[in-house]
Amino acid sequence: MTSPAAGLSAVRVPKWAFAVSLLGLIVTYLVLQENGLALGASSELLHEFFHDGRHALGVPCH
Amino acid sequence: MTTTYKSIALRGVAAGAIAGVASALVQLLVTEIPIRAALAVEEAREPAGDGHGHAHGGEGELVSRGAQVVGGMLGVVVVGIAVGLVFATAYALSKRWFVDRTPFSRSTAFGLAVFGAVALLPWLKYPANPPAVGDPETVNHRTALYLGVVVAGLVIVWGASRLASRLTAQSQPVRVTAVLLAVVAAVAVVLLAFPAPPDTIPADMPVTVLWQFRLSSLAQLATLYVGIGVVFGLLVDPATRRAKADAPVAVG
Ligand SMILES: [Zn+2]
Repeated sequence: MTSPAAGLSAVRVPKWAFAVSLLGLIVTYLVLQENGLALGASSELLHEFFHDGRHALGVPCH
Repeated sequence: MTTTYKSIALRGVAAGAIAGVASALVQLLVTEIPIRAALAVEEAREPAGDGHGHAHGGEGELVSRGAQVVGGMLGVVVVGIAVGLVFATAYALSKRWFVDRTPFSRSTAFGLAVFGAVALLPWLKYPANPPAVGDPETVNHRTALYLGVVVAGLVIVWGASRLASRLTAQSQPVRVTAVLLAVVAAVAVVLLAFPAPPDTIPADMPVTVLWQFRLSSLAQLATLYVGIGVVFGLLVDPATRRAKADAPVAVG
């Protein structure tokens, strides 16, 4: 399937793009999901600060 | 010129920031109302204020209520930016996704698909709950189930795009019907295969507050994910830029 790629699908994605995307996923995890698995005790502060956002985005909370 | 990955990634960040701010405003104006009501229920539950390990405000709190409201909105914007970046990368990588359409309609359809996979599907299986609902003991179990549904949703989207590209020889009605049936069947399997929410809703939580919260949360998720698709589409579609160049004074 080599249909002529319309618009942007011809863009070459460099390897570092995957590292950048991974960083995006890690940030999302830290804001929405971290409950002590990665950061231990300091995650409590993070959790409380982002607390309303977690509930609002429908992520499981205590 | 959106010809390099870097320029696409920057547009993803911008789209994520704009949709994130819009979603945070929905939170401030809509979702905070049932959250406040739910916190009142929680407060009424423990008049003595004896620590149950987790303060949602009240005495001995780690973060003040005001900071939680601001932090919650900030969190939504941060998640918007991070998701926008991943969204832009996935968009640049997708060689199958409606390649015959304009960048705007591709991006909007992509945003709708992401909303369905990572927000609507988990919402249907494990509806969003306000504070004062949920046992702290089961949070890791619930998180694992929730993430499982998110992954299943993304697999369904990926599978649907594969199926659609395999059926290009068929006529469009046949292709669309086949893909829709496959998606509906896969969603039904996911909804049936995953266990019911482990926690029961406490009797003191008013049903009106619960559902006001759940619908607000869904509106906020739609603003975030569909918003990223629409704004990213506007930012990458050459048609948008041509229109802007024609009327440069129209937009401040
Ligand atoms: Zn909570």
